[in-house]
Order: sequence, then structure tokens, then C-alpha cells
Amino acid sequence: MGVNYQTVLWNRNKKIYDKWIILGMLIYLLCFIGITLITNPETSIETLIIRAFGTLAIALLHVILVIGPLVRLNSRFSPLLYNRRHLGVSMFLAALIHGGFSIFQFHSLGNVNPIYALFTSNMDYGSLTNFPFQVLGFFALIILFIMASTSHDFWLKNLSPKLWKRLHMMVYLAYTLVILHVFLGALQQQPSLWSISMLSLGFIIIAGLHIRTSLIESKTDKTKTEDIVDGWEYVCDIDEIPEDRAKIFIVNNERIAVFKYDNKLSAISNVCKHQGGPLGEGKVIDGCVTCPWHGYQYLPHNGQSPPPFTEKIATYNLKTENNKIYVHPEAMAEGTEVNPVII
Amino acid sequence: MKNEEDDFYVGYLDNTSTKTKKTTRLFVVFSLLGLIAIASIFALTQNTFKNSTFELTTSTKITGVYHEMPYPMLKVKTAENTYKNILLLGFGKSSANPFLEKIRSKTPKLSGSILSIEGNLIYYNGKTLLQITNDEKISLVEKTNPNRLPKVEQVANNMEFKGEVIDPKCYFGVMKPGKGKIHRSCAALCIAGGIPPVLATNDENNISEYYLITDKKGNPIHKDILPYIGKPSLINGKVVRVEDWYQLQIDVNSIQDLNQPSKIY
Repeated sequence: MGVNYQTVLWNRNKKIYDKWIILGMLIYLLCFIGITLITNPETSIETLIIRAFGTLAIALLHVILVIGPLVRLNSRFSPLLYNRRHLGVSMFLAALIHGGFSIFQFHSLGNVNPIYALFTSNMDYGSLTNFPFQVLGFFALIILFIMASTSHDFWLKNLSPKLWKRLHMMVYLAYTLVILHVFLGALQQQPSLWSISMLSLGFIIIAGLHIRTSLIESKTDKTKTEDIVDGWEYVCDIDEIPEDRAKIFIVNNERIAVFKYDNKLSAISNVCKHQGGPLGEGKVIDGCVTCPWHGYQYLPHNGQSPPPFTEKIATYNLKTENNKIYVHPEAMAEGTEVNPVII
Repeated sequence: MKNEEDDFYVGYLDNTSTKTKKTTRLFVVFSLLGLIAIASIFALTQNTFKNSTFELTTSTKITGVYHEMPYPMLKVKTAENTYKNILLLGFGKSSANPFLEKIRSKTPKLSGSILSIEGNLIYYNGKTLLQITNDEKISLVEKTNPNRLPKVEQVANNMEFKGEVIDPKCYFGVMKPGKGKIHRSCAALCIAGGIPPVLATNDENNISEYYLITDKKGNPIHKDILPYIGKPSLINGKVVRVEDWYQLQIDVNSIQDLNQPSKIY
């Protein structure tokens, strides 16, 4: 969390994360370039750069896309999510080197503008086999640029978390474009069972993890209580919630989190104002509900971030009867104080 | 969902649980091994690059008989009664013509004259090309003499070839690979920029032959052939030989796209 914007709000974990990103990228480049120079020494430096960085970007994109669902399935993967934006920017830089060199090599120094040339030098748009695959890569790079350039809390706040999230969900469109770019380009000219199998496996892993996550979450979302007394909905028994933790429920089609802490119960919206993180999977630390994604904090009794922070989320009224917790489904205005239920 | 108390991770705090650390380490190790595997598979499944050469940083001065039949070339003596015709090209995706304008304005009948040109050599499989990057590096050695021009002999009135139209600059050394779908856009720009189109063929013994393509009257051809570049095609036409280069005189409309993946080189 921060009250003003800095390029990077560094801390020890971010530095460790970035060191591993750099190490991973270097290992990849050394492997690809080393193996190519040993087994295929007649390569040219331009081709080596284009291929090394292009394939590196694809590999990193796969790593990025599995982190989200892995964290949803097991919170022990949380450290991978914390600084994923740096991984995203690194992947974009690799893609930019690939795209930049390709545009320079294949489309510049001609008699027309390189970008115009990219769209017009192969006009077989109606053919699948002859389709100008470069155009797909170009649009993927534009999406990755938009994402990388807005990959900062300044843009998150100014664009609004909702729009920012939608913008960054375009990574799936970029992934689709990248896969088509590779299959209609490199793999069409140079078909390799190994490469095709590897990319197919990558797709299966990414799709499989996302489907599994979505099935689990949709099951939670469909769980509705049938025990409603005077507008109060039964959610669970008190002892079902661990100390300083919460359980997530759906009331009025919204996800809410009921926290138990200091012999008290409070209910707040489950959606963090930062990036929509699941607050119900968070923990009460120093009296504040702490988001598991990036550590944003809220006071459980009023949904307000502790001063000097200004984020606010909706709160809910609770009551208990015979060890049973009931919630009133009507959300209070964001930041509204609600007395915790003493247990 | 696993949410054991000691497993809760906050990025800006230094109290990561042992289990979370272990899971993260496992992921990092797995990812690094994955990156090595991916890099190895991508690197090892690349097609073999050919031993073509582009002397980008080395300049070579060549003296020979200049001719345009129809593309600018320099006829160079390599041994007694043996000549090599070096195809002249401009910088980037451009023909040699813009770089020859200056000397043409001083020497109206340039064909047949002896020129000395300094540029970057490109060579592969018996063919040599020269990239000119500066018109100041072209000088007239001897004025024109038509007797020096290469002889043109007819080989066949109508022959059919299966091959791929390439741009010779990239194919013979500037790019690797300089053919096929990935290179098609670049080749189209090169040929649109005035670089002569060349038909590259491969026989069953994997022996390649190259044909400079012209129109039926032997004039340069560029824009009309763009839709057929980088695609295996069936092409027929009249074959003539200009010493060590074949020329194929064609009707562009008769080219048939074979809808096959590129297989040359």
C-alpha cells in the first residue's frame, strides 16, 4: 500500500522476485543462444535475437498465466502473485525486442512505412495457410504494451479498478493472438512435433487450471442459504470460522466475507478495492483485514482502510442466535460503521 | 482452499511461512527447469541454417564490365576466359538503380563500360551479389565498349519449373532464412523496391538452380509478381543464359500457386 506514487515501491520480497525473473530470463537466453550456436552455427545474429526473445516471451507468458489460477487453488502460491506485474513487464520487453527486431528486419528499409508494410506486404487475409501472421503478433504486442504501460497503481487508481481489470483481462486475447501468430508463422514454415506438442501442453495446463478454478468458484457462488428469518440469512455457525479468518458467502448476488477476530464478528464486501482480491481469503493482522493478493488493509467494523489510506468497501449487518450467524443481505454504503457482533 | 494460519503471505512483511516458502521454491525450480526445457526444444527443432554470407562490415572493391540485361550486373573476370556476373543491389530493400543515377548522368551509355564499385559482398551456392551503399564509391574505369557485354544464348523456348520466387538479396545471405512464409513480406518489399525476383528450384538430388525472372520481352518485373513471392509455384517460360546466370522470361498470369509449404534450401 502507498499514499503517493513511486516508480516501484521496493521491498525485500520484490527485489528477490525481480532477481529470479532476471536469472530465469538469462538462463533461457543462454540456453537458447548456446544450443543454437553449437548445433546450428550458421545462424545470423538478427535471427538469433528474434527467435530467442520471441520464444522467451511465449515461455514467460505461460508462467504468468498459470500463476493466477494456482493462487486461487492454493494460497501458498501467493508470493508468485505479489510482484507478477514485474514478470508481465519483463515478458513485454522480451516481446518488444522480438517484435522490434522483426519489424526492422522484415518490414523496414523498404519504399513504404514499416507498419504500413506489415499490414500490406502480404495481403492473403482470406487464406488460413497464407494468412499474414505478423499482424496477429503486432496486435498482441499492442495489447501487451497497453498492459505493461498501465501496470502501475497510478493507472489502477486513475482508470478505476474495474476498467483496469478489464484492460488487463485482455492478456487472454493477447495469448490467443500469440498462439495463432506462432502456429500460422514459425510452426507453419518449420513444423516441429516437439514444439507443437509443447505449446499444446501449455494450452492444456493453462486452460485446465482456469477451468478448475472457475468450477470451484462457481460452486461457491451457487451456494445459497434456504434459512432466511425476517430477511436475515443464515450463513454458518460461529465455530466454522477460524480465528482472524473469514468465510465467503453469496448474499444478494454479492460475495461477502464474515470475519472472526478478538471475540467479534464483522461482515464486509469480499472484493478488495485495489485489484478485486478475495478479502475473505485474507487475514486479520494488527486489527485490519489484510488482502491476500497485495496486502491492502481494511478495518473490519467499517470497511475503511486505516488512515492515511482512503479505500472503502461495503459493510453488512450481522446477528447471532444459538451459535448461528445471520447476515442482512442489504449492503451498507462503503465505509459505513457497523458494530461488530460480540461472541 | 488451504488457509492455514501460518501460511498467510503479505508481500511487504518478512514473515513468510516455511510451507509457503517451500511451495514458492518448488514453483521457481520447476519454472527454471521448464524454461531450460522450452529453450532446448525451440533451439533444437530449428531447421539447419545454410552457409550463405553477407559481409555487412567488410567492403570489397570490384572492377568489371557493367551491363543491364535487364538487371544491373558487373561482369568480373575470375580466370582466363571465365567470368562471373555479380548482381548489383542497393542498400536495404532497394535496387542498385538509385545508386547508379549519378554515374549514369555522367556516362550516358553505361552498359559495356568498366566500373569499379565498392560494396558489401553477398554469396551462396556459386552466386555472388554486391550491395552498394554509397554512389560515391562507383567510379568509371573505361568507357563503353559493346564487345565486352556478355553473350545471351537461348536454352529452351518453353520450360516448366517447380520452385519458389525469392528475393536474391536476403536468400543469398542477408537473412537466414531468406525464404518461405516468414520471409514473404520482406521479399515482397525487396522486390517492390526494385530487387530482381529470382526463381529458386530444387531437384530430386537437392541441387538448386536459380533463374532471374523477367517479363516475356526480357524487361524487369517487380510489382506484378508480388502475389506469388515466397510460395511454391509452377512457372513456365523461355529460358536464356547470360553466362553464369539463367533468365526465365515469363507471363506472370501463368504462374500457378501449388499451395504447398516452402521446401527450398
